[in-house]
Amino acid sequence: MSAAATAAAERQLYRNKWGLWLFFFSESFLFAGLLVSRFYLWGNTRPDLDQILGLTVTSILLLSSFFVNRGEMLMKFGDRRGMMNNFLIAAFLGLLFLVGVIGFEWRGHILPTDGAYGAVLYGMTGMHALHVLSGIIFLLIAWNNARKGCYAPESLWGVQACALWWHYVDLVWVFFYPALYLMGNVVP
Amino acid sequence: MSYQKKNKRTISEKKAAVLRAGVTVLLGLAVLTAAEYWISFLETPNIALFIIALFKAGLILQTFMHINGLWASEEDHE
Repeated sequence: MSAAATAAAERQLYRNKWGLWLFFFSESFLFAGLLVSRFYLWGNTRPDLDQILGLTVTSILLLSSFFVNRGEMLMKFGDRRGMMNNFLIAAFLGLLFLVGVIGFEWRGHILPTDGAYGAVLYGMTGMHALHVLSGIIFLLIAWNNARKGCYAPESLWGVQACALWWHYVDLVWVFFYPALYLMGNVVP
Repeated sequence: MSYQKKNKRTISEKKAAVLRAGVTVLLGLAVLTAAEYWISFLETPNIALFIIALFKAGLILQTFMHINGLWASEEDHE
């Protein structure tokens, strides 16, 4: 690749990064709106949610972020197989997170029709779960592209974008977890 | 030692350092999560939990999302 072509590719990468971060910024308004509605509607109270389940799904999501970061770093050093394995583990952990939230939390004693508590709980966890699902799909697409040999240490924007998206979803849960499970007094 | 051997060792050292940093951040996040879980049982104001969440977010933004890399000027990429 000529020097001019390399420079153009790097400029494009720089703009891609900014584009993705601006998208994160716009998405943060959606999640901030959900957080504000939680504090407006619940005040200093919260429903009686399963604390162990909350801690478990949070730990699973943080662990998945670690594996995504590890995969991205390994790809940077040219270890394609390592990246694929780590992304696959992260996708599996993401799936476990969804099972925890949708399969267990949503089958608890609170229903979406239970007034403000149900509306906020299902609104926040539902919107976040949708993002986790999109992240899992993204991880699997990156895994498949890596399998086909689409990435190299000097061209790994697909891997970086996927990793950024996954970490963003994790970042949102960092604020959702205390807001849903830990803050306020339990209302029986 | 030949240049190639030395270069290979430097790369593997860099790789090990980067992977170690990931483990350190994971441990940091685990400790902060355990702290917020424990604090929630005490009668502490919500702001304490919010501050811990901010620390966790900072760790993720800094080390996992490489937010500092964004501020490199466009000229650096030319």
